[in-house]
This record gives sequence, structure tokens and C-alpha cells, in this order.
Amino acid sequence: MKTFRLLMLLACVGPTAARAAEFIAAVKDNKGAAVADAVVSLVPLDAATNSLLPPVGPRTEIAQENQEYSAYVTVVQAGSKIYFPNRDTVQHHVYSLSKAKKFELPLYNPGSVESIVFDVPGVVTLGCNIHDWMLAYVLVVPTPYYAKSDGAGAASVTAPAGRYRLEVWHPRLATTAVEEITLSDAAGLHRDFTLTLKPDRRIRRGPEGKNSGYR
Amino acid sequence: MRFFRFRHFSSKLLLLLAGLMALVQVAVYLLISRANEAAAIDHIAQNLQTGALIFRQNLAERIAYLAGSAKVMSSDYPIRQLMMQDPLDPRTLRSALQTYSDRVRAPVITLFSLDGRVLALSDPELGEENAGPFGDLIKQATRDDMEQASGYSYLAGKLHVLVVVPLYAPAPNVAAWFGVAYPIDNKLAQAIKSTTRLEVTFTSDDPEEKTPRVLTTTLDPSMAAALALHKMAPKQGPLDSEMVTLNGEPYLTLFQEIELLGEAPVRIALQRSLNAELAPARELENKVLLISLAALAVATIAALWIARGVSQPLHQLADHTKHVAAGDYTRRINLDREDELGQLSAAFNQMTAGLAERDKVRDLLGKVVSPEIAAQLLQSDLQLGGEEREVTVLFSDLRDFTTLSEKLPPTEVLALLNRYLDRMSAVVEKHGGVVDKYIGDAIMALFGAPVAAADSAARALAAARAMGDALDDLNRELAAEGKAPLAFGIGINTARVVAGNMGSKTRLNYTVIGDGVNLAARLEALTKSPGYETAVIVSEATARAAGEVDTLRPLGGVTVKGKSERVNIYAVDIKSRPWPVRG
Repeated sequence: MKTFRLLMLLACVGPTAARAAEFIAAVKDNKGAAVADAVVSLVPLDAATNSLLPPVGPRTEIAQENQEYSAYVTVVQAGSKIYFPNRDTVQHHVYSLSKAKKFELPLYNPGSVESIVFDVPGVVTLGCNIHDWMLAYVLVVPTPYYAKSDGAGAASVTAPAGRYRLEVWHPRLATTAVEEITLSDAAGLHRDFTLTLKPDRRIRRGPEGKNSGYR
Repeated sequence: MRFFRFRHFSSKLLLLLAGLMALVQVAVYLLISRANEAAAIDHIAQNLQTGALIFRQNLAERIAYLAGSAKVMSSDYPIRQLMMQDPLDPRTLRSALQTYSDRVRAPVITLFSLDGRVLALSDPELGEENAGPFGDLIKQATRDDMEQASGYSYLAGKLHVLVVVPLYAPAPNVAAWFGVAYPIDNKLAQAIKSTTRLEVTFTSDDPEEKTPRVLTTTLDPSMAAALALHKMAPKQGPLDSEMVTLNGEPYLTLFQEIELLGEAPVRIALQRSLNAELAPARELENKVLLISLAALAVATIAALWIARGVSQPLHQLADHTKHVAAGDYTRRINLDREDELGQLSAAFNQMTAGLAERDKVRDLLGKVVSPEIAAQLLQSDLQLGGEEREVTVLFSDLRDFTTLSEKLPPTEVLALLNRYLDRMSAVVEKHGGVVDKYIGDAIMALFGAPVAAADSAARALAAARAMGDALDDLNRELAAEGKAPLAFGIGINTARVVAGNMGSKTRLNYTVIGDGVNLAARLEALTKSPGYETAVIVSEATARAAGEVDTLRPLGGVTVKGKSERVNIYAVDIKSRPWPVRG
């Protein structure tokens, strides 16, 4: 057990000993509009991914508020735990039928918190059994080096210099964009990404009581 | 009785052609227009019936759809999970119902307990107080153990179609009821309009309401308000339509009713504008009208042209006729036509030529024969044969004319003779006598023929005396000219003779024949006898006829050549001149 811990520590210290470099991505769609919620991840090619420890930080959570998931896209390193607090006035029934993680959190009351560990990299789509319009994505990545683009389409990742497999993912992207990059410690690397997104097909939550059947 | 007479043939023809044309076209136009309208009304009526069926079908399908959707909802897993909770969580239930509302696109989904209490309502604005009609349906379904129940009612004042289905746990055990409602609103009206092309109007038909409300309509609001107030005509069949005029536009309208749950029924008006339906036909009618007007114009022009073609030559003919009537035969009509009018003008020209010829003949006849004989000839059929009548025949003869003619050149002889004959003839004609013929220098004149005259003898005597005067005048002229005077002898007899046309079939004379005529000639010859000392000898018959037996100088009886009887003769002493010097 001691040996394992030591190994882990070494693995952790190894890359961090190298000087960090910054990768900055600007994500747009093919109409030139900034794309938010795009996930940029850098998977090291020179180190075993399973040797990478999750970064220490505030706990990750996907809340249910006002009958919506609080973050549409959440990125976690494989092995992370996500908390699902119900901060709503109604019960929710979270479920996933995704390969990366199949689970359900049966109807639970406002005020309760549930949690799930996501250990397999991949996309996990979350729904709610009684509210069709509730939708959230969890992208589980095998690396601690990732970022989600903000409203301006900017995402920046700080990682040690080295070779990486760069992956850009978005819920409406047909296939994940993959390429190889090399980060040198000299200066940050800037890259522009233009994504061809599928149309947004999310179920719109109808205004309460204003539905009419005649289309 | 004729109120109007055409002064012109052209206006008659024009009126006839153009009038007939217009009549036919107006008739055609009216027929087409009527047929179109009848067809349009028929078509609309059929559309309305189909529309009514489609409308009912539409509602039935919606009910079926709602019921089917509600059945799926009622067997949904989460709703069972929620229903399992005790106590129930109304908020979560409501959020779940909103999901269902989105899924089935029904704005109102309500969950009821078995006793009809509202457990949750998808529409927060729709209060529980509006759930009453659902309660009625649930009672009905419970009572009749139905798998679904449906009906129509107002929810918050708006017309809805309502369906309730049971939430089985499991079937046939009912754990709760789902109530689903669809508004019958403008969207439905528009949906029906888009499939049927009919105007759809729903009005409340509540007898307690003074003015029926317009619930929903595809019409203009003011028209819909007018329609709401319209009193339905009594119908014979449920699918009979009636004509309703809205804002001056006729709409064929089919009224239908929907029974409501515990309330007065709702009236549905399905309509189609007659004008809209007729629009393509009207377009056609307008084209027909244009063509008709064009044809009428062409017909008018054609009629005018034809009329001119007929009336102009007729005018010419009329004009020509006036000239001919006035005796002008020199004019000719020149119509360059092959038709009947051309033939007529040719005939007219021939007639004019004929008239001119006849006139010429008449003129010539008058010169050749005396005017009376000419008239007699022209009047009668120119048949050979004559009639017996009493006439007085006068013979005159110049004395010694043969001797005279030998002394003078022939032209002068003829001139002198003509001068003499002209004077004598004038005197004879003046006294109603007719010169029958000239025989060399002799004149044979008739009195009482061809025109009968009672006083023929007196006329003849007067003529003889006047002839003497005329001869005196002529002799004075001749004397002045240094020419020798003339002398004549006259014999007059009155007798019954035959008067008529004599000669061959191709050439004939009007004359008289008989003993009496010969006697006159013989009497004239007697004047040559110096013993009688007279230039004029008349028979007793003439003297008696003239009533002058007592005044005339009797010369006694003579037996003339060829006559057996003696004839008493008388001398008429004419003042003119002594009785002939030479024999």
C-alpha cells in the first residue's frame, strides 16, 4: 500500500516538475459565432493516463434547480465523483442510459443530495424521468488537462510541455475532433477551432399551461 | 296596332340584327350566370356537408388521440411511482403533468382522484373550480364502467373538448382519472378552414344570454357578431344550408350544434362566400360579356353596312322613279351589282327605256293620226273590226290643185299643201272633228268618231264654215306673198257607218267605211258643178241632224254615182268667197 502511494506521488511529481505551458483555444461554429460548452481536453501521449491523479479542487456537482440541470455540460477526469443536489421544489428522477455510466437516482425529494462516481471516460447523458426537457451532459476524460469554453468560446488549458492528443467535444458535434499537438514551455499555443454543429434539438420546456395541440 | 314605324329600312335592319344579337347574347349571359350561380350554390352546399363531416371527424379524431395519449400516460412508469407516494406530492405531480402536456400537446391535463377531486392540474391558471365538467365525465365513466368518456364544455370560459381516461393499477382497477382537454379555438377553426376552405364560427347559443357570444371565428369580428345574432331558418334535414348575408356579402351557411356537458349547446356555422366561389365563373362571365359586346359592335357595323348597301340603291331607285314619273326618261341607274338590286335596276332601266319608247310612239302616233284616234288606239286592244255608229263625214278637196302643182316646184307645192292642210286640220280639230286621212290635197274628217258626239252634224257644218274663213285668211296671206289663191269644195254627209281598225294584223288604220262615206265624197265632187254655185254641199241627213234643213239652200235631189236612191242636197253658203271661178 505504501509502495503504491509512493508510486502515485512520483507519477504526480514527474510531469509537474516540467515547466507548464498554456494551450488556448477559441471555438466558433461555421457561422463564426462563439461556441460555449465546448470541451477541450489534452491527453498526454508520453505518460500513462491512469497514472494521472485528479486535481484537487472544489467538489463537482450538477444541481437540479427550477426543473433544470444547473450545468448543461460538466467535464470531469475519470474517477471523479459528482454530487446531484436537489435544490428544487419538486422531486426528480435522474437517469443515464449512456455506455460510460448507466445509473438512476430514483425520485428524491428537494433538499436531498445524491452522488455518483464516473470512472469510465466517455459521454454520459443525463435525463429526468418525469421532466422531459431536463438534459445535461457529463464528459468523462482520461486527463486532468481540460477546459470548457465560456460564452466567448474561449477555453484555456495549462499542461506540462509535451505531446498531447487534443480532443474537442461538444454535445452537438457529430464526431469528436482529434489531433496531435506538442506543447513547448516557451510560449502558449493558440488554436482556433471551427465546429460544424448539428441543430439544437433540445426539448423546449413549454410555457406552463400555454400548450395547444394544434400545430 | 303599330306604335312605331320605321322611316328607314336601315334602322329596321339595324334594330333587327343588333337587337336579335343582343337578345341572344343577353339570354346566353343570363343563362350562364344563372347556371354558374346554381352550380356554385350546389357546390358550396356539398362542400358544407363535407365540411361538417370533416369537422365532426376532426373532433372525433382529436378525442381518439387524446384518449390514446391519456392511456399511454396512465401506464407511464413515473406516474405510478409518484402515485405510490404517500402523501402525494402535488408539485411534482404537476411538473410531471406538464411533461405529459408537452408530450401530447394538450394544454390541460388534470389528475383526479376516484371521487373526482383534483390531485394535480397541468395549468396553474386553470383553477380547480373549472374542473367541474371533468367531474361529470368521471361520474358518467364510473357509472357506465367506460374506458373513456368525452364531451364538450367551457373551461375558464373557453370551449374545450374534454376526455377522461382511467389510470389503471392494474386494469381493470381504477386508481385515478386523467382528464385531458383541448381548446376549440382559433387554431382549430383555422385548421378546419385550411382543409375545407370554409369559414368556421362558433357561437354560444345560450337562451339565457341576450346576445350570443362569438367563441371563435375565422371571419372578420364584425361579421361574426352579425352571424351570432342571425336566427337560424328552420331546417328540413340536418345538413341543409341557408343563405346568410354578412356585410352585404352572401354566404351559404350550414349550422351545426354541439351539445355541451350540462350547458346550452354551441352553434357552429360553416360558411363559404358565394362571391368567392363564383369568382372564377364571374371572370368567365366577364369575358363572355366582352366577347358579346364585341360581337354586338361587329353585328351593328355589319347591319349598317348591309342596310346601306340596300337602302342606298333603293334611294337611287326612288329618286329615279320620281324623275320617270315627272316624264324624264333620259336618266339611267347605274348599280354595279350582281344581286337582286342589280337586276332590279337593270329592269328599271329597261322599263324607263320602254316608257321612253312608248312616249315617243304616242307622240308620233298623235302626229300620224289625230290625237283622239291615237288615244282610242292606245286605249283599245288594237283589234281589227269595228262598230256601227252614226258619224258625220266631211270631205274637202282643193280645186285645180293638179294644175297648180304643175306650175310650182314640188317642194313649194308640198310646202303650200302642208300650210293649207295644217290650217284646215286645226279648224277641224277645233270643232271636235278628227282628220281621218289626207288623200293628196283632200281631207277626210270625221265628227262623232272615234268619240261619239250627238251634235256631230252641227259641228261639221260649223267646221265647214270655219274652214271657209280659214281659207280666206290663207288666201290673203298668199296674196300678200304674191301667190295664187286656193279654193276648195266640201261635201258633208251624216250616216251610220262602220268605224274601227282596218287593215292587216301588223298594220291598221282607224277609219270609217260605208255608203255614207262615199256619199260625202260624191257630194264634194258635186261642188265642182257650176250649177250649184256653192263650195259646200251637205246631204239632207246632215242638214236635218244639224237642224238646218230650213235655213240651208236646197239644191234638190240628186242621184249620185253608185247610189240608187235620190238624195236631197243643200248648199251651205260660206261667206268666204265666190264660188269657184275655175272648174
